[in-house]
Amino acid sequence: MLKVPYVTNYLSEHFAEDAYATLEGYERRGGYEAARKAITKLTPDQVVDVVKASGLQGRGGAGFPTGLKWSFMPKGADKPRYLACNADESEPGSFKDRILMERAPHKLLEGILIAAWATQSQTTFIYCRGEYAFPGAQIARAIEEAYAKGYLGKRVMGSKFSHDVVLMMGAGAYIAGEETGLLESLEGKMAKPRKKPPFPAEYGAFGMPTTVNNVETFCHVPHIIGSGAEWFKGFGTEKSPGTTIFGVSGHVVRPGLYELPLGTRLDEIVFEHAGGLSAGRKVKGVIPGGMSMPILPAGQLDVPMANEFLRERKSMLGTGGIIVMDDTTCMVRVGWIVTYFFRDESCGQCTQCREGTGWMHKIFERIERGAGSRDDLEILLDVAAKMDGQTICAFADAAAWPVQGLLRHFREDFEAHVAHGKCPFPQSFEL
Amino acid sequence: MPRITVDGRELEVSEGRTILQALDDLGLLMNGIEIPHYCWHPKLSIDGSCRLCQVEIEGIPKLQIACNTPVKDGMVVRTKTERVKRAREGVMELLLVNHPLDCPICDQAGECKLQDYAYEYGVPHSRSKEPRRAAKKRVDLGPGVVFDQERCILCRRCTRFCREVPGTGELGVFQRGDRSVIETFPGTALDNPYSMNVTDICPVGALTTKDFRFKIRVWFLDDVHGVCTGCSNGCNVYLSVANNRVYRYLPRRNDSVNQTWICDAGRMSYKEIGSESRLKHAYVRSASGSLEVSTYADAISAASARLRRLIERQGPGVIAAVASAHATNEDLYTLRRLLEALGTEAAGFAVPLGDHDALLVKAEKAANAAGARALGFVDANGLVDRIRGGGIDGLIVMGHDLLDPAYVGEPAVLSHLDTVIVLDTHRSEMERVAHVVLPVRHAAEKSGTLTNHDGRVQRVHPALEPAWEAYADGEVLARLGASLGFEGFERKWDVRAVSRELAAELPAFAGKDLGSVGELGKPLADASR
Repeated sequence: MLKVPYVTNYLSEHFAEDAYATLEGYERRGGYEAARKAITKLTPDQVVDVVKASGLQGRGGAGFPTGLKWSFMPKGADKPRYLACNADESEPGSFKDRILMERAPHKLLEGILIAAWATQSQTTFIYCRGEYAFPGAQIARAIEEAYAKGYLGKRVMGSKFSHDVVLMMGAGAYIAGEETGLLESLEGKMAKPRKKPPFPAEYGAFGMPTTVNNVETFCHVPHIIGSGAEWFKGFGTEKSPGTTIFGVSGHVVRPGLYELPLGTRLDEIVFEHAGGLSAGRKVKGVIPGGMSMPILPAGQLDVPMANEFLRERKSMLGTGGIIVMDDTTCMVRVGWIVTYFFRDESCGQCTQCREGTGWMHKIFERIERGAGSRDDLEILLDVAAKMDGQTICAFADAAAWPVQGLLRHFREDFEAHVAHGKCPFPQSFEL
Repeated sequence: MPRITVDGRELEVSEGRTILQALDDLGLLMNGIEIPHYCWHPKLSIDGSCRLCQVEIEGIPKLQIACNTPVKDGMVVRTKTERVKRAREGVMELLLVNHPLDCPICDQAGECKLQDYAYEYGVPHSRSKEPRRAAKKRVDLGPGVVFDQERCILCRRCTRFCREVPGTGELGVFQRGDRSVIETFPGTALDNPYSMNVTDICPVGALTTKDFRFKIRVWFLDDVHGVCTGCSNGCNVYLSVANNRVYRYLPRRNDSVNQTWICDAGRMSYKEIGSESRLKHAYVRSASGSLEVSTYADAISAASARLRRLIERQGPGVIAAVASAHATNEDLYTLRRLLEALGTEAAGFAVPLGDHDALLVKAEKAANAAGARALGFVDANGLVDRIRGGGIDGLIVMGHDLLDPAYVGEPAVLSHLDTVIVLDTHRSEMERVAHVVLPVRHAAEKSGTLTNHDGRVQRVHPALEPAWEAYADGEVLARLGASLGFEGFERKWDVRAVSRELAAELPAFAGKDLGSVGELGKPLADASR
């Protein structure tokens, strides 16, 4: 099991120490100092302002400014306010939150505590992916330790502030990682994303104002409060500050995790950090941020890994899960796999998503089996366009974008299938 | 109140409503402003999932669903742009990708929103070459409803209905994605007093009633506005008629009465109209004591002869009438006039009683009990006591089985009377004691007004013509009055004229005559409630 990213930075520098996962070991490295500072020396608004000033963007995939999100929480004490920690890491290609929970559960709790103070929330629900048994156990143990030490529960750190953290293990649907799907699942219902309005900050978990943040997002917060917004902005790009933990998988010599500043070039990550590809193999395409994000072809890997640059290439940073594919890869088959996943995981509420994911998958299957025709490509693009931006949640977008990316850059693969009436690539598995 | 502009039309709307709700409030939705929709229903919570109601809103880059977008002062909405058109085409095409297109054998064909909107807003050809989803075609959901999984478009109106209206929640969506399917929860059936409403709100042929399916193609049906006569709630209905036969009741929206619903018992009560037990002949009791079939005219003459003889012998005070809560206000008003002409005040009304609930079902199982009260009739139990006491010798009974234990019980109480004249739609035990029996029309066969429990005067229209000789109660009573030679009964009974007369005479009914109440009815003046 990977304990430490191959490249570390402030998030992961102590991951080699097993004790860092314990409260004692975490405090030895300065842990909980930032939370103590926030709760005893800063007002909630000051904390929000620091996080706003840091420019921290959510690390769950959408990249929404965290401080701004916190500021949406209504003020006043008429209702309890909640936080939810999205630990339902399910995006294919992403495995960063897992190591954060396994190696630094107290960093997550400290980030939660600061965010709770900033939003004056009474409870945080950590919704952890069901398959993450060990990360979940680490969090559960850390919660116990924090309660025992008086860092959670009534009168946190001797202040007048109280905060509870509840861990809930998920039940295995990708869509439970969508923030309102998560809230539904948290309430014991099927994870069907909610229509907006109302937004979670108004009507969230159990109908109360709620802010949902990703695990990694919370983990940056103690560093920002401890070292300041300016320090944080020393990492990354002007518009995308800080580091992130990139997960690299696929046809590379050294797949794994790499904590690097945002804006690190994709080719640097693939070829220098991850060791490039096996001898004789060439890159064909790279998915930059988890399977939902449009693929980039070999010629476009000179892009800095930050949204402002990736958007120019019609892709996004997503969760930072980098999937590398070499020149033996059949992109029709990639499409088949991608659409299989999204067809399987669509919650089925919205027409376009429920029907579009299945239709696209059936078309990919037919093309891969050699029965495709040229107009299939246009239909694929058209269905993807009809799904994009027209549904309750971003799932349909996430299912449409990779298809658009594959057809944008690898049309010749599709045309070869149509022209030859079969898949021209070596087949690694039966459909 | 916020003002919004929809397709250039400026509208004043209510605060806190969404675009679709606001247009529905104004009666403009699909009636001047076309925003097609499947999952949204005016009486259910907002779902936002079918995505058909997307519109363009100035200042918002993405299309928005009109069902869930709150109105804002100054909002500019466009429903006819190219982008909206394309979005609708997209939804329609995707909805049809897995649809079986079995319209030729589908009972919904002709009144199917999938057909209608595909024609109106879809693309003419299907581009899909893929196999369609195969699923169960005949799922028995409960006593009243059958489900075709293949036709279902997963709008989830039915699941929301069960959860939100009867509160029984038998239906849910199981599985996910394109395997999603509506089912009853394990161990339950779709079995509640309102279960068949799901077939009305189902926009496609997925949910159908066992009763109506395969009976007739809907394009042969005419929908006549009417009122359910199953209880005093007076739920507004359409009577679907063909071949001089009512095939079904469908709830007709009336936000002051029944919203868009009807109970299952009321829905099935249409069967009374064509029932085998309808009274199809007039009868007169012969000298030998048996009831013999008679012509209508002879039966009227026989009735008037018996009444005249009784008045001559004992005076009019021994004659009494039991008014029916099934009869119209006009029928009852005519009875009042006849009683005045006879010179008796002995009258009461009878109504069968049954179960009630908090939603629609009322205990009084007749449509016009409130009308009878408003017209001055009191409960018939006092009258029954007088009959028992021997003070009555002649009785006119409209549409009620007075032998019902709730009133008389044993026939002996009535069998010693000199004269019993029965007017009824159906055969009943009253034939045992009647001297003259006269068939009358059901509310579905005549014009008139009914007053529901809440004092709302509502109109019924003749949806069919009985195949035998029968008249409205009022007309029969008027003929009886004419036969007795009473003043004011010379002219042929005309329901419109009677209705106007009634509205002119009784202040509570002012402005509530047949021609004035409209299709949604009007409340009686408060004092009379």
